[in-house]
Amino acid sequence: MNDDLKNLGRMTPPAPSPEARARALALAMQAFDEAQNTSEVPQGTAGVRRQSSIFNRLWSPVMNRKFLAGSALATLLVVPAAAFLTLELTRQGLPVDTNGQQVEVADRDASKDAEVKKAAPSKPNAYSSADKAAADGNAVTQSSGALADQVDTRVAEEPGARGRAGVEAMVGKTVPGQAQQELEFDAAASQTRRTQFAAPPAAVATESMTGGSIVEIMQSPAPVDTVWQAEENRDRFTSADTNPVKSVATDPVSTFSADVDTASYSFVRKSLMAGQMPDPDSVRVEEMINYFPYDWPGPDSKDAPFKATVTVLPTPWNANTRLMHVGIKGYDVAPAVAPRANLVFLIDVSGSMDEPDKLPLLKSAFRLLVEKLKPDDTVSIVTYAGDAGTVLEPTAIKEKAKILAAIGTLQPGGSTAGAHGLDAAYNLAERAFVKGGINRIMLATDGDFNVGPSSDEELKATITAKRKSGIFLSVLGFGRGNYNDALMQTLAQNGNGTAAYIDTLAEAQKTLVEEAGSSLFPIAKDVKFQVEFNPREIAEYRLIGYETRALKREDFNNDKVDAGDIGSGHRVTAIYEITPKGSPAVLNDDLRYGAAPAVQADAKPSGEMAFLKIRYKQPDSDTSKLITTPVTQSNAVPTLKQAGQDVRFSVAVSAFGQKLRGTDAVSAYPYGSILDLASAAKGEDGYGYRAEFLSLVRLAKGLGGE
Amino acid sequence: MDEDLIERAQKGDRSAFSLLVERHYDFVHAVAWRWSGNAGDAEDIAQTVCLKLGQAIRAFRGASRFRTWLYTLTLNAARDHQRSQLRERRNAANFLADPTSTAANDNHDQAEALWDAVRQLPDKQGDAVLLVYGEGLTHAAAAEVMGCSQATVSWHVHEARKRLKILLGRETM
Repeated sequence: MNDDLKNLGRMTPPAPSPEARARALALAMQAFDEAQNTSEVPQGTAGVRRQSSIFNRLWSPVMNRKFLAGSALATLLVVPAAAFLTLELTRQGLPVDTNGQQVEVADRDASKDAEVKKAAPSKPNAYSSADKAAADGNAVTQSSGALADQVDTRVAEEPGARGRAGVEAMVGKTVPGQAQQELEFDAAASQTRRTQFAAPPAAVATESMTGGSIVEIMQSPAPVDTVWQAEENRDRFTSADTNPVKSVATDPVSTFSADVDTASYSFVRKSLMAGQMPDPDSVRVEEMINYFPYDWPGPDSKDAPFKATVTVLPTPWNANTRLMHVGIKGYDVAPAVAPRANLVFLIDVSGSMDEPDKLPLLKSAFRLLVEKLKPDDTVSIVTYAGDAGTVLEPTAIKEKAKILAAIGTLQPGGSTAGAHGLDAAYNLAERAFVKGGINRIMLATDGDFNVGPSSDEELKATITAKRKSGIFLSVLGFGRGNYNDALMQTLAQNGNGTAAYIDTLAEAQKTLVEEAGSSLFPIAKDVKFQVEFNPREIAEYRLIGYETRALKREDFNNDKVDAGDIGSGHRVTAIYEITPKGSPAVLNDDLRYGAAPAVQADAKPSGEMAFLKIRYKQPDSDTSKLITTPVTQSNAVPTLKQAGQDVRFSVAVSAFGQKLRGTDAVSAYPYGSILDLASAAKGEDGYGYRAEFLSLVRLAKGLGGE
Repeated sequence: MDEDLIERAQKGDRSAFSLLVERHYDFVHAVAWRWSGNAGDAEDIAQTVCLKLGQAIRAFRGASRFRTWLYTLTLNAARDHQRSQLRERRNAANFLADPTSTAANDNHDQAEALWDAVRQLPDKQGDAVLLVYGEGLTHAAAAEVMGCSQATVSWHVHEARKRLKILLGRETM
């Protein structure tokens, strides 16, 4: 498309014909001369005054702004005076000698000011219907008279009524039509109007007395239903429905792809720290669970890249169901054998990155990563804003000073055209391609990756194509307010990478340094999970999280279908809430025409609750391998306490995530219980991640009002 | 050089103005041709622009670059021309069976389909695409010609691409 469009520029226009050219030139000269002639004649009659009556000539200086300023000043004087009157009336409940004041106000009004159209105390806010009739009658009789007069008469005539209620003074630019309307005698209408213009509380009157403006007074009687508008938030998330409870009888197989992203947790944290409950769509429970390092037992050799540990435990939030907890640990590539890396940092330096938690944080984050890399690894930097530019050609880590200097020069400015940047980054990555090594683009951005001339699908296609050639893409998200989570997820998922959201330097440390191995060195790709439940044991199940990662049942064995990747040392945790057969918590009724008993009798080893299958590919292979594990009663623990510490903690995180998402099942489970569960399972917590989680739960508890 | 000519023309120097128009006629014609895709129309448009130049050169203030101003004049003229053509064609349609003058199109290269599609775009989007891709301007320069912000140009281009994709019904955009 780009090339096609560029062809537009390559089209050579035919040479203009000489006749046309000559004709045009002649015409231009003619026009030029004509314009010359007219320009020589003086335009307008400067010396002679415009004809206007003497009245106009005298009046127009009077209507000068200076004089209007005088009347505005008069208005300002009227306002506190009226407010003062109101206050007096409200406080004393008696018409004190206000007539004099009112007349004075009205006089000034009439003589100096055309703007203050009305200075009328409206009706007392709660009087009987008889009073109301009288009042409205008064109003009608006086509607023809001067408004100022009306003020006085009403003050004089309705002392009793006023004595019982507060009086509201409305001063302002009420349009005459509206004033008229207000005086119309219509019981129903005036009733409504009265509720609308409910008397302002005394506090408002006081406020206006101490120097309030017209605006303030006019605002106070305005309808009270003006809702405070929250600042528009342009973060974008794909909304995915929470996984439903499924019946094993009709739907015994659950299939999903691995997800080792952690972006959601950081986003939730940032939101809570800012004192806001996170957008439910921004909460992906599996990413919250996977954020924490757990000590699942890992495999011993590289040949079996991971090992699954299954625990069945009672559900903390439901006495009648159980949780099937699957913890998977990837093989840890020892740093010595880690392959060479060729990284391209693709950095968004658009104007919006000019915030402390964006570009400066990003620079520090990349400095951390550079420290972590080996001397032979290469790094290049591409920035994109209005124009994409290469800041640093592929440079070996040995020349660290040069790299750090290049990072230091990054300056925000311009708008975002990600597509060009991505092209440039892929070019650099190809130039420094390390065969058999890590070739990865690290995209750092704060939001819309792409305002420029390119569509999301086009980007996706490019990334998918490059992935096949061995260049992967990871995404680091920064900042809040314009974050395009959906696009970032898509990019990372299609680029065989992870999407992480970085809100603090500590998070950068975690993502880029401590877990660099996982995000940089994949040990398996297209990792898919499939769990088949035994209908004899399990009635229903519900997968917690992984909404955006669901796969079709048939895709499990289809090696062409892309799925999540697992890096060195990665941990993946999946939790099912399962309802045993016969439990009172079963939601779905049995089918009347349900499965024939013959199928049931098809004797599989009894006691098995479910069968877990994992399919994965070696990073350099295109055919998948299968790992299977049956889940039996031996995996079960009778009480929550007997489950491992990490299991309990991950369950607490899942409860918290589901609660933030507004999942039905845990809505009755209080934050307090999550807090207890998590703090009992806090363990050693060397980096303080779990302590931080506890404080987030406390924050949510406060914000959620529990 | 241009500045000098403009200044002299504004003071009433005929030869300076003549030189100025001569220098820029080819440029105006080329732009007009890209917008209209038709040599006859391009000549008409270029002529209109020359006429306007003669009338308005004195009012030109160096606030914008002369090129930018020429773009603006030409774009407006092209747009006016298109509208009047459309009117004529609509009138002609009452008498003729096939009023479209596709035969008059001088684009014989493969960009023809795209070309037609671009010209079907809404005014602003078409202008943005032609300025950016046809004239090779940066988004910022195009924004100056169109009198809007750079982001708006980017948006127009983006929208245009989306629409072109539909118009051309192509997968790989």
